[in-house]
Amino acid sequence: MNNNHKVSVWEPPFIQPHRVGAINKFGNRGAKENVMREIFGVSIDDLVDQFGSPVFVTSEHQLRMNVRKIRRVFERRYNQVIHGWSYKTNYTGAICRILHQEGSWAEVVSAFEYEKARSLGVPGNRIIFNGPHKSKAILERAIAEGAYLQADHMDELKMIEQIASEQDRIVKIGIRINFDTGFTEPWSRFGFNLESGQANEAVKRISMSPHVRLTGLHSHIGTFIMEPRAYGEQVKTMCRFMRDLDDIDHINIDTLDIGGGFPSKNALQRVYLPPDQAVPDINEYADAVCDALVEETRYLEQSGRALPRLIIESGRAIVDDAQVLITSVVGTKRLPDGRRAAILDAGTNLLFTSYWYNHQVQMTREPGGVYEDTVLYGPLCMNIDVVRQSIQMPPLVYGDRLVVSPVGAYNNTQWLQFIEYRPNVVLVHEDTNVSVIRRAENLAVMNAQDEMPAHLSYRTMADEGSLPSGKTTREHLIRR
Amino acid sequence: MIEKMDTLLQRICVDGRLAKLAVSETGFIFDPQTGQSFTLNQTGLLALDLLKRGNSLEMTAQYMSDEYEVTMDVASSSLEAFLYQLGRYL
Repeated sequence: MNNNHKVSVWEPPFIQPHRVGAINKFGNRGAKENVMREIFGVSIDDLVDQFGSPVFVTSEHQLRMNVRKIRRVFERRYNQVIHGWSYKTNYTGAICRILHQEGSWAEVVSAFEYEKARSLGVPGNRIIFNGPHKSKAILERAIAEGAYLQADHMDELKMIEQIASEQDRIVKIGIRINFDTGFTEPWSRFGFNLESGQANEAVKRISMSPHVRLTGLHSHIGTFIMEPRAYGEQVKTMCRFMRDLDDIDHINIDTLDIGGGFPSKNALQRVYLPPDQAVPDINEYADAVCDALVEETRYLEQSGRALPRLIIESGRAIVDDAQVLITSVVGTKRLPDGRRAAILDAGTNLLFTSYWYNHQVQMTREPGGVYEDTVLYGPLCMNIDVVRQSIQMPPLVYGDRLVVSPVGAYNNTQWLQFIEYRPNVVLVHEDTNVSVIRRAENLAVMNAQDEMPAHLSYRTMADEGSLPSGKTTREHLIRR
Repeated sequence: MIEKMDTLLQRICVDGRLAKLAVSETGFIFDPQTGQSFTLNQTGLLALDLLKRGNSLEMTAQYMSDEYEVTMDVASSSLEAFLYQLGRYL
């Protein structure tokens, strides 16, 4: 008997029948077989030993490099560029503060996000306030603090006008418009529609007000847009509307906000090619945006007038690959159809983006055994808690640590608080020191918002007998 | 239970099905009788190799237990499930 069979990992013997169509052109191997023992220059085992599993690990260096790059590629092509950091993508305080240090404004879409930006020291006049729900109270504060408002609907316009009148101010605002670029599904639920004339109605309404002045146009054509030409069309449409406003209504637009939606190097489900091939480089987006912008604003330059400033609200392209999640295998099994399955200590509660991405998953030890189609489940009591529906993995054992990436966008904001505590989020500093930037939840955190009515306020079930009547709660209530 | 397993093993072996299987070193199997192909994992490859050489279930389980440093119980029960699988496909 030879020793060729010997592998380091025990797995029950198994025979897998081949089915027609089950084998793809990439063969029976994992797409990423390289073992990851360090992340952002820090040992994965050390991170888990110190901060537990699961744990989100964020790179300060990567974050700074990403935002510098996106600014650089746009500023190289156009003079006046402002990056608004999209808070909803990841509003962990330390992450926001790093980006503000790099010169990004805050782009917020709710009262909470506005208050968060202010609490982080961002002045009102460096906050772009978007979104369909701005309460009167937060609008009053934002207007008083000089935030740049972009109105979403007519009722909001009326409210801004009323507040401006009450505060006896002239408020400069932008309006969000929506239109069909021909490339993406129009997001017509946000802002004023251009084709139907709603945008013109909004302009007229603003023109009649002595307290509100229209100075900006905003649009956001979608999310994870993989076609740069869509942005070219967007900018052309916005510029032509801007020129119409100038020619017909003598309204001078000084701000064009093209929103965000630039993709990251993540793998969208149902996209055949890997992200390295499917996702265009950010330079292609900058070309599309700035070429159209320069072309469409040439008339301003020729007449010696100021060009509008350009706001980009990119979130995902900046933070996604700056964060990974380390998770551990807590169980393995074979499904009745023969597929290998593993249960992880992190699921869709922490990786909400698993619903639309096929995240990359990497081993942290040398794999042993045959790669097979594997399902990765999370820890929730929900059938839909699936991190990867199908991934080629070697045999996994209890305690294996896996690195899921990229996860920086939308997970730390859309994660679910369902049956599990949310874990530590840590930051690897530029000098590779590590610190917690969001503490793991515990029972005290979970109970902090609970309130207990007086008649339910006993510490243990045994204390229940000490009610005034000496009866149990039920008897007490019945007799009363 | 072992007796039942031995009967199953005998059934697979008697008509030479096990012996006729073409098995590659990487675990690819071709069954010339049905035209079906399969993939074995590493432990499956070892178990099939041992059984094809005429080892009893107990001897096979013992070998696997030693080789992978798992208890005899774990090796036996896993081998039993594996044999059921073989019985289903062969």
